[in-house]
Amino acid sequence: MKNMEENELFKKRLLFSLMAVLLVLSGCAGFQTGKENEVAAEADAEGKVVVDFWTFWGSEIRRPVIEKIVEDFNKSQDEIVVKHTFVPWGDIWTKELAAIAAGDPPDVVINDINATALRGQKKQAMNLSEFLEKDDISARFYPELWEATLYEGDSYGIPFNTDTRILYYNKDAFEEVGLNPEQPPKTWDELKEYAAKLDKKNGDTYERLGFYPLFGVNYDVWMLNGSGHNFVSPEGEVQIDTETNLETLNWLLEWKNHYGENVVNSVKSQIDSQQANPFFTGKLAMFVNTPTFYTQIRDYAPDLNFGVAMLPEKEEGSGHTSWGGGFVAEIPEGSSHPEEAWEFIKHLTDKEAQEYWAVKNYDNVANTEAAEAAAKSPDMPEKDQVVYQTAVDNMQNTLLTPFPLAAPDFPTLLNPEIDNVLLGKKTPEQALKDAQAAVEQLVEENKSK
Amino acid sequence: MKRKKFNYKRQEGLVGYVFILPWIIGFLLFTAGPLLFSLVASFTNYNITSQMDFVGFRNYEKLLFDDQLFWTSLWNTLYYVAFSVPLTTIGAIFLSVLLNQDVPGLRFFRTIYYLPAVLSGVGVYLLWMQLLDPSTGLVNLVLGWFGIDGPNWLFDPEWTKPSLILMKLWGVGGGMLLYMASLQGVSKSLYEAAQIDGASKWQQFRYITLPMITPVIFFDVVTSLIGGFQIFQEAYVMSNGTGGPVNSLLFYNYYMWNKAFKVFDMGYAMAMSWILFIIVFILTMINLKLAPRWVHYEGEAKR
Repeated sequence: MKNMEENELFKKRLLFSLMAVLLVLSGCAGFQTGKENEVAAEADAEGKVVVDFWTFWGSEIRRPVIEKIVEDFNKSQDEIVVKHTFVPWGDIWTKELAAIAAGDPPDVVINDINATALRGQKKQAMNLSEFLEKDDISARFYPELWEATLYEGDSYGIPFNTDTRILYYNKDAFEEVGLNPEQPPKTWDELKEYAAKLDKKNGDTYERLGFYPLFGVNYDVWMLNGSGHNFVSPEGEVQIDTETNLETLNWLLEWKNHYGENVVNSVKSQIDSQQANPFFTGKLAMFVNTPTFYTQIRDYAPDLNFGVAMLPEKEEGSGHTSWGGGFVAEIPEGSSHPEEAWEFIKHLTDKEAQEYWAVKNYDNVANTEAAEAAAKSPDMPEKDQVVYQTAVDNMQNTLLTPFPLAAPDFPTLLNPEIDNVLLGKKTPEQALKDAQAAVEQLVEENKSK
Repeated sequence: MKRKKFNYKRQEGLVGYVFILPWIIGFLLFTAGPLLFSLVASFTNYNITSQMDFVGFRNYEKLLFDDQLFWTSLWNTLYYVAFSVPLTTIGAIFLSVLLNQDVPGLRFFRTIYYLPAVLSGVGVYLLWMQLLDPSTGLVNLVLGWFGIDGPNWLFDPEWTKPSLILMKLWGVGGGMLLYMASLQGVSKSLYEAAQIDGASKWQQFRYITLPMITPVIFFDVVTSLIGGFQIFQEAYVMSNGTGGPVNSLLFYNYYMWNKAFKVFDMGYAMAMSWILFIIVFILTMINLKLAPRWVHYEGEAKR
């Protein structure tokens, strides 16, 4: 699932670098405020402990929100001053790694939840159990998120935000073809049946596509949806070549053959270009994406009559399993003020800060109570609340796929096999068999280390 | 007498060293130091933060005999180098010769062709991703005018590397500039003499121009060969950080970076970097050995 995650992260990274460039281009305004903040922090710091806090949230929307949370913390007590440092997405974790190796790391860093256990194992992130013994805050978060932060039973990062995947569907299109707009598809079969009805062809070209599973998410999400577990278990057991995965792969292949390479590519490029998403214009009737995709609909297609639902399940009773990721706050190994850093992390992941982040950024947060509260926040318009509530409800179906320590980079071996199947160059049976063998070999190699 | 001269010479030498001291310190500290360290660490399971145990040749053995992606990444890189180096060299020579003619609007054309060399980085890659889009991209649109059904470029594993090479060809302006400078330096009298002897344009190009610019060709080939092996950014950006369909853009340095910074297998990545170093070193040595056979330096006495 690394693939998906990377894709997502990657887009964000590009966005951030572009923004960083814009910031420079927009002259010194950006710099000066930054400097003033720093100076203020320095002045405040007299006699106080300074906690250096690194995030990649430098955008126009996110930066003020995180800085308000920091400011609230600084005002709430007079012993610790948190200094927020924005490090661009492309640099933050390599710089952090260098700083840890040099023995002078920041005190709190926002990091990828999927690699938290891995960083715990490598002693990059600090074992937080000594703090958790004193105040156990683990119950604040969705259990699935908390689980992901554990290495050998100890937590190495505190969950901050998260996401999930939900189904968006066009209610007007449903009505047009005689489907009940309040009854989104519940199973893969229904999904296919509805999509066939929603397909609208004019000669050889599609005026509307019902649905295509590999827009917005990758094959791994559907395999997770079908099987309910990651390809490699935390213990290192490889579960790629299974009956369920084979069925899923065949199902994906049927979709591909239904629309054909050219249609899929052309619609995909429209989605990727992020200029005219076909879902906005009614040319795609159903689409799977993150809850935050809603903000794009709100901004670019405010009149679109759409609904949101859980992902359909493979067959009745197999579970509406969805996939998510997220970020954690970690204390790097070697931080000079871990106690103070911990105090700040508690504030950062407490209900108040989390709810503020959730509402202001329209982002899923890790704190259960805060998420529930945000969905009912009077600061959110009704439509926002509906989507947010769906996202919150969907969290109970959402699984994470943290990098398995036995083979953290297994997707580089699995992805090409699946690519080959979708390109029609290998049979699904053969591809899964080969991938299974390749990943098993990787696990073996890593054991001998 | 003799002793004084010696002193003077030695003093001058010392002063020289003092002058280049900043470079020497920088080299030892920031290049030679890390270089040696990476050689040592390539024989360990170094992961930057928690371990560095000696494991002998295990990293190298695993790379050469067990790693399933090492050969893929090496093959991808060799493919890219084998095509991009000759093509960009020929392209740059061709362009520079064209732009060395006496035609109106020359300055304008020179600027146009040089422009891509000024632009670089992620912006250009994103632009090319749009140009190469199978259904809406300009490249396939233009091919369509000639009745050619363009390929799926970055989505088809057979075409991903040619896509990158095509993009590189668009940016040959940098090399072109070098060739133009060297073309300007070819003495006019050589051409005049040849014309009097009745040499054709092609003969002039083949027997005067080409030999006279061989030092620059040599330089260009060596540097772009070394640079070609280090391809990373293009693939990283244009495959959306995935290595492309069927790992067709998983280049050597990209794979190494994954090992080093994604799974923190730094010792292993360092072993990879040394293997690459050896490959490039051997190729460069071959280049240097072959050079006297075809590189012509002006005023040099040929045996």
